[in-house]
Amino acid sequence: MTQFLGAVAGGVGLGSVYALLALGFVIIYKSMRVISFAQPAFMLAGAVLVSYLSPSIGFVPAVVVGAIAIAGVALVVERVAIRPMVGKAVFVIAIITIGIDIVVRVVAGAFIGRDPRQVGDPWGIDAWEIGGVYIAHRHIAAFLVTTVLVLALFAFFRWTPIGLAMRASALDQEAAMAQGVSVGAVFAVSWALAGGLAAVAGVFAASGRTMDQNLWHIALAALPVIILGGLDSLGGAVIGGLLIGVAQQVVASYHRQWFPGLDTNIGSITPYLVMLVVLLVRPYGLFGTREVERV
Amino acid sequence: MNRRSRRLGVLASALTLSVAVTGCGRDDGDGDGGGGGGGAAPGVTEEACPDAVDDNKGCIYLGTITDLTGVFKGVGEPFTAGQKAFWDQVNADGGVGDYEVNVSEYVKDSGYDPEKHAELFNEIKDDILAVTQSLGTAHTNAILEDATNESILLGPASLGSNWIFDDISIEVGSSYCTEAMNIVDYAADEGGKSVAVVHFPGDYGDDAMVGARIAAEERGLEFTDITTGTVDGGDDQSAAVAAVLKAKPDYVVIATSPKEVAAVVGGTAQQGYQGRFIGSIPSWNAAILASPAGPAIEAMYLQASSFPTWDADVPGMEKMREAAGDTAPNDWFSIGFSSGYVMKAILEKAIDDDKLDREGMVDVANSLTGIDSEGTLPEGTANWAGDPNEDAVRVTQLNKVDQAASSKVSVAVDPFTGPTAEGYEFTEPCYLMK
Repeated sequence: MTQFLGAVAGGVGLGSVYALLALGFVIIYKSMRVISFAQPAFMLAGAVLVSYLSPSIGFVPAVVVGAIAIAGVALVVERVAIRPMVGKAVFVIAIITIGIDIVVRVVAGAFIGRDPRQVGDPWGIDAWEIGGVYIAHRHIAAFLVTTVLVLALFAFFRWTPIGLAMRASALDQEAAMAQGVSVGAVFAVSWALAGGLAAVAGVFAASGRTMDQNLWHIALAALPVIILGGLDSLGGAVIGGLLIGVAQQVVASYHRQWFPGLDTNIGSITPYLVMLVVLLVRPYGLFGTREVERV
Repeated sequence: MNRRSRRLGVLASALTLSVAVTGCGRDDGDGDGGGGGGGAAPGVTEEACPDAVDDNKGCIYLGTITDLTGVFKGVGEPFTAGQKAFWDQVNADGGVGDYEVNVSEYVKDSGYDPEKHAELFNEIKDDILAVTQSLGTAHTNAILEDATNESILLGPASLGSNWIFDDISIEVGSSYCTEAMNIVDYAADEGGKSVAVVHFPGDYGDDAMVGARIAAEERGLEFTDITTGTVDGGDDQSAAVAAVLKAKPDYVVIATSPKEVAAVVGGTAQQGYQGRFIGSIPSWNAAILASPAGPAIEAMYLQASSFPTWDADVPGMEKMREAAGDTAPNDWFSIGFSSGYVMKAILEKAIDDDKLDREGMVDVANSLTGIDSEGTLPEGTANWAGDPNEDAVRVTQLNKVDQAASSKVSVAVDPFTGPTAEGYEFTEPCYLMK
């Protein structure tokens, strides 16, 4: 039982990282109907920036500054590379985001250097032992910060004018424009939010360990998360993230008992197996909008 | 004669003339031409090297296929820099015979991809005399057949136990397999009753696992095999940590990259494990001391290696540190530099014996019984004249973390050969016996 609960605790920490990343995907998707593949690069860039800032200004200010800076980068990327493509096929814009991902990742990776870096988080590998179950401080921190950010995000969409504009635009872009909503501003804010969230996710993904240019691989699991939660559901992104994180850690923990003949731990491919199943049985996800087609 | 035939005739005449001209090089063709310039030995030219110290010397081109951007760039980059530093120093001191040696013109980045490694080898093989660095066991295996067919000597930046069986391989140091045997012998001598191996799947990790298993059987230790994935591949090592905690071994042999070491040592220490970790040579990078697991690594980890630490007080390392200049040396820079002694010995003998071509280099390498590496390479290196079991280097030293040392490690146990490795007869690569 302690093994299971330990895996769940680790899964909640990992799932929080996935949730933050998935929220970024969903916010952009809701505003533009495009899946942005640039999230992994923003995540890496955020973690790298924080690793440079935290020794001089402290960890928490570094995370705040890092998230704002990456939000700014995402804003610029949207204005320069995405906005001119509005109106083009969704597929074309998605391909452009892959290009952006590669460019930003290469630039951010160049700042890592030969040896791995640390984000300078205060939790390290410390853990609390509760009834034989070890719960890492960093996992608790990731969960708490994600909870706060999710609540803030929901409040933002509920009560701020730009949040309302984003919801209106997501429902019906043309009607929103007719009511005076600046769709350009909606695009810009959605990219900035996604960039900032990815940066925070990067920090938690890199906490308690060393990081190098390959940190971005973690962000790939956010794709199964949004498929599970539903492409256009913010709540689905959070719940999907936590479910995928827990499933991955439980499988990783029990792999040796369940699959003794397999060399490679299948924990890391669990998110993708879940994605396959979801696509087969419920392609719009747990909370996504079911697509209605006239035939 | 029509126009097409006339053009072909002109082309044939030009080719004949150029072959005749290149055939009339210095020393009547013993070791001249090549390197893209055409001649008897590929990779050997009359023209000076692009960055020559002395323009009157010819040039020997050696190829490098390494990882400058992938998962082992932390090895490939300094290893390549170390080799360049070695040859820069040799060239500044007058080169080798009538030649200088160039190791920078044909440096290729495989990104640690075996397929790309093979492609890059095909790209450069006609322009080089030998490959001075081929990083990765599977990667080097991917070019082994071609290299053997064309008698191209290979310097594997890999310590698989397979190299002792190949005539064209000029490996240096103890294999991961031998290293793990020695680690387990040490553990047994220290009173350990059980040992686990946390390792990557594949030739590196499996080589170490099999070596440890052989020694554990020999010495009567309880043995646990724990395969793990890479942190980069999404494996956060929680499964490996859980497996170590479940087995509770006295010693853990760890054959992964440094990132997994940090995660496994940190993760197990966090949950109260108090055993000892001893890592294969690629498992160490001083940078992990700055990670959150740093204190646990300092307390619980030893690095196994057959090479002296780079701050060792031996003449060769003195030269290496001097050649490094402002570049901060590390283990891989040092081994890259040291491996140059092997190639230099082969080149010098090939020139002396009038055998400066590919076949000659292979003959010369397989006639060596040892070289003078000025203390940088382990005892028994470059003894390629005998059978594979005579080739195998069998010493290992154990280094402990030492914050006061420049290299961040110092010798904890002097070079030794345990009883298992001493008496073991290699009949096939260890990793094939998993």
